[in-house]
Amino acid sequence: MAEAWWAVARSEEVTSAKPINVDIGDQPIVLWRDQQGAVHALEDRCPHRRTPLSLGCVLGNGMIQCGYHGWTYDGATGHLKDIPNLKSDVKFPALYRAIPFAVAESGGFVRVCLDAKAPAPLLVAKTLPLSGTVNVALEHEHYIAALFDDPSLVLAIKGVRFTPYLLAELAEHEGKLVLERSCQWAGFHWPSPFSSDFPITLRIATDPVTGECDLLLRDDGFRPLLFATLAPVPAARGVTQIRWRATLEDNRHGMRAKLLGAGTPFSVHSTIDGAALRVLKPSASIHAATLRNEITARSAQTSAA
Amino acid sequence: MLDVKDAAITDDYIDPVTADPREFAAKVNAWVPHDIVLKDAWFPLAHSFAITEKPVRRAIYSQPYFLWREGKTAVAAEFHPSEGLQGGKSEFTDAAGRYPVIEKYGYAWCWFGNPANAAPEHIPSLPYLPEDGGLPLHMLGTVRFDCTAPLSLENLIDLTHADFLHADVVGDEKMDKETVEVFHDSETITMVRTCVNKSVAPIMRRFGGVKVDVQQVRQVIRIYLRSHAAIAYGRFSPGDNVQLFHPCVPETRDRTRLDYAINTRNVKKTNLFRYLMPKASYKVSRQDSYMTSPQSPRYMQPEKRKDLHSPLDEAGQKYRVLMLALAERQARGDFAYHVNVSADCSEIIGYDGK
Ligand code: FES
Ligand SMILES: [Fe+2]
Repeated sequence: MAEAWWAVARSEEVTSAKPINVDIGDQPIVLWRDQQGAVHALEDRCPHRRTPLSLGCVLGNGMIQCGYHGWTYDGATGHLKDIPNLKSDVKFPALYRAIPFAVAESGGFVRVCLDAKAPAPLLVAKTLPLSGTVNVALEHEHYIAALFDDPSLVLAIKGVRFTPYLLAELAEHEGKLVLERSCQWAGFHWPSPFSSDFPITLRIATDPVTGECDLLLRDDGFRPLLFATLAPVPAARGVTQIRWRATLEDNRHGMRAKLLGAGTPFSVHSTIDGAALRVLKPSASIHAATLRNEITARSAQTSAA
Repeated sequence: MLDVKDAAITDDYIDPVTADPREFAAKVNAWVPHDIVLKDAWFPLAHSFAITEKPVRRAIYSQPYFLWREGKTAVAAEFHPSEGLQGGKSEFTDAAGRYPVIEKYGYAWCWFGNPANAAPEHIPSLPYLPEDGGLPLHMLGTVRFDCTAPLSLENLIDLTHADFLHADVVGDEKMDKETVEVFHDSETITMVRTCVNKSVAPIMRRFGGVKVDVQQVRQVIRIYLRSHAAIAYGRFSPGDNVQLFHPCVPETRDRTRLDYAINTRNVKKTNLFRYLMPKASYKVSRQDSYMTSPQSPRYMQPEKRKDLHSPLDEAGQKYRVLMLALAERQARGDFAYHVNVSADCSEIIGYDGK
């Protein structure tokens, strides 16, 4: 968790108007944007009297001011810069600071790493135009397992029905957990258990630590129809916060593929059907934990070497 | 009843605040207000007007208090009268399951602790409330805080927070000079904040007829530690003085009840401020809760990281140390009052009857 980069916000959610609160596990974090456009992340806890800094405000100089007694912090270092009522220019000892976290912004996501000295993550060039945020009352690991075992519990792609059949079970590819699921277009047709082939597939490539997924919907000509990035982050009380971005490929062949563009092509559910989830048989997710451990153990070895 | 004079001088009481500064800091930072339950104190559990023949249920640290009147006399009991003495009673009540109760200043003060120690001398002095009550209803009200009572009092005793949290009611931090003085004894702490040329409180500008841009302000917060009750007295010039009684009753360790009284009889009858100032509590208390409610769970467990302090926090820090000292003494079985909290404190708070 410490070195991972978590996509805790979409770029448009972080402004200079009002700080926002997110969490990574049980670590509350305040995010805001300074007047130069840079995003800052500090622990969401004023070291004076422990109130959330996100209840304060962003000052004209880009610093954050606690709403309780006005203590003012620098975003990059977390250092206390001012106690307005002291009416003095004294410098505060280095101990006087809120814990800062590393921030990186690209592809329309704001990512935070709990280790302030972590090397920057790879930049994502493209910002997908469709986006959303949902809070789901299901723990991170279970959320990802549900996505692996039955995507329809978690998300919807317009006109697409997910089948129980995989073209490739969960396996490691270039450090990610990848699976590919056969899909049908919705409507009347020969039921999936009796179908020999399927017109579309959904490939899900997942970061083993954060669970951030790249989704790719393709037709049977191997042509992409839709891309999406889904970033589930463990939040307080076992809630998972999901930020997502998506885009449709412009050139889509066939009537059903073209119709994807009408209305809402992609959405992520804000609730999960508990009755369906409880009886969902683990399939694709069965080896997820083992694979994850293998990958992280290996990367720990290489970084130690 | 216990004679306070007996208990006062006997033991070798050491002022926890004058002790070694490192020890002082250690105590300040060992603050887990959620764990402090002080006994042998009077709590203003209800406005007198709220007590009628029909019992009302109140609580101190979850201990039930049923209050009603028998004739003119207020009674406080551990059980609802229709329930009777079922399932055994606690050591807080007499054989009939009744708590000591005294009506004074327009409140029913109920004793929380050993009934044998309930002396009227332990009721705090509140100079600007009429001893026999009788303030009009519009000067009285109830608000609640979603936090532990000591956090509510820590909030009150550091008034710099008002400049940020209540700026739209009482004015912001703009002023030429601010000084904070703190006095204490084993049962009380008093903070005096003097502001030179402070920006005028919007409520006074709008409704109080104050036409100038700056005011001279002297605010006094005096907390009676065991009773969790505070005097909040503000002198404004120009402007009318604010005479607030701010008791923080710990109904549970994480929820606070405030039956306040703002005596605005000093304000001219034609001045709207007389009627509106008491109502400001509804707004101000929500603003306070906005901060103290998320604070409260963060003060429930011992915490390795020390809170940071500024010179403006002297009162709050001493409040912590004094409360802890009382808790430690009580843990040793020492419940005596060393000072007479009912002695008139007009001079201490700078109240001149006007
Ligand atoms: S709690 Fe943040 S300034 Fe006091
Ligand atoms: Fe306040």
